[in-house]
Amino acid sequence: MAAPEVHHLFHAPIADHSFSADRSTLAVARDNNVELYHRAGNAFKLQDELRGHDKTITGVDIAPRSGRIVTCSQDRNAYVWEPSQNGEWKPTLVLLRINRAATGVRWCPNETKFAVGSGARIIAVCYFEEENDWWVSKHIKKPLRSTVTSIAWHPNSVLLAAGSTDGHARVFSSFVKGIDERPEPSVWGERLPFNTVCGEYLNPTAGWVHDVAFSPSGDALAFCAHDSSVTIVYPSGPEQPPQAVISIATQLLPFASMLWSSETELVAAGYDCGVYRLSGDANGWQLTGTLEEKKERPGMTEQREESALNMFRSMDLKGRSGGAALDDTKLKTVHQNSINTVRAFQENGGQVRKISTGGVDGRVVVWNV
Amino acid sequence: MAAINWRTINIDALDPESAYNFDLSTLTPTIQPISTPDVQTLSGQIRQLLRGGNAEGALRGALENAPYGADEQGKVMPQALHTTLVTECLNQIRATEMSPLLQRIYQSDGGSELCDTLMKYLYKGMGQGAASHTSGNVHGGGGGRNLTPQATGGFTQAGGRSFGGGEGGMSVFLSWHEKLVEMVGPGSIVRVMSDRRTV
Repeated sequence: MAAPEVHHLFHAPIADHSFSADRSTLAVARDNNVELYHRAGNAFKLQDELRGHDKTITGVDIAPRSGRIVTCSQDRNAYVWEPSQNGEWKPTLVLLRINRAATGVRWCPNETKFAVGSGARIIAVCYFEEENDWWVSKHIKKPLRSTVTSIAWHPNSVLLAAGSTDGHARVFSSFVKGIDERPEPSVWGERLPFNTVCGEYLNPTAGWVHDVAFSPSGDALAFCAHDSSVTIVYPSGPEQPPQAVISIATQLLPFASMLWSSETELVAAGYDCGVYRLSGDANGWQLTGTLEEKKERPGMTEQREESALNMFRSMDLKGRSGGAALDDTKLKTVHQNSINTVRAFQENGGQVRKISTGGVDGRVVVWNV
Repeated sequence: MAAINWRTINIDALDPESAYNFDLSTLTPTIQPISTPDVQTLSGQIRQLLRGGNAEGALRGALENAPYGADEQGKVMPQALHTTLVTECLNQIRATEMSPLLQRIYQSDGGSELCDTLMKYLYKGMGQGAASHTSGNVHGGGGGRNLTPQATGGFTQAGGRSFGGGEGGMSVFLSWHEKLVEMVGPGSIVRVMSDRRTV
């Protein structure tokens, strides 16, 4: 397996990151601005900056086909950025009508809508209204009881999953008349007017939910929560109890983000700083390993044999018995701090081959799955 | 104007949208209510096991039947009673038996859950300090004294402080904690912190 491709962009947390469809442009949320990096050889060079928000940006997403960028921030606003003729980015304000910070934003797969989670116990589903030339939002309010931490879209662009700090992961319909085609009936339901609650799941300890994700087919939902658990739900049909709810309690620190690399495999990362793999199906799931390479990263050589002289010298100079070669200020993982987002980087035949992760350490890493 | 002190009006109570007007119990995991006499009967049975020398069975029983749903009103505090009981079980088990015992519990069905429950009681015990330890020994009778794991009287930090009392106490919890974390990792600690079902 090839080594992960590490891009250390700056020394500040990356709240969210997103690649363009051709993977040559990388948008990174840094404080109040979104920085656009362009691939130059093996590295990413800063090319442009999207300025407009006046508080920390919490979400950024590039629509793969239209190339439009949506950002949301703690200043309670969202902007849609479109490239203009002279190469500059033109922002359009979206009226979210929320009175708390926006926490995250995602385009739906067909790119006609996007959803913004917020601390106001609201999900704002936004779509473009031609006659007013304006992005408008519709609110999903019930039965959210707390901040929405994450949002994930079903492949049919109508169903929406949301994780919340009230410990629930929920599946909603975001059907907007005139924008959406009537979706095919699925395990989540047949008639789906706006704000239909298609599923509501609580994890065993009611810890808050960090991230939610639909499987590639959309027929299963996974969510990770602050009790270090990952729960996978297989619904059986509308208004019926799910056929399987599998919850795995891990020995690690909680996961903050995850995605399905295939119908039977999940990739998750978070406060443990490493990227982990889980696999299973409706009969059971388990943690199967990590994407980190076990040994011999550059600059991470094993502790060498120490002479007694070196040991005492080191104890004298540094007050500890480790040798000079031993660098214990570095984590053994590729990311040197917790990971905020996991994104698909390359897909092939319905399977995710490469993923990208962005973390608090200012790194964006591309991994082979 | 009437003499209403408008500065002290709780405006959250007047807003129907506010979280203040929402019953938070619907957000927590459902727990079976359990009456105080039931908890007392249970602790009697577990103490029986303990007296019979089956400390592992007693500990397992105590962890499986943690009274999350006990009501905390009245004179007898079922939760505190149960904490004392778990502490007694822990005191009865020798230091050398800790790891294999935890291993057995962890690998059994639902073992991960039991270990999380044990972790809750360890933190609870450490939080209470000397109080629970003393009461633990009173109930446990003479037998408990000789069986405390750290009876060597060696120098420990806990022993030097008032809450340790030279008999283990905190050091018992600490050595259990160490052994438990070795096995279940920091995940269990995070679960104890995020779990709404407290002990």
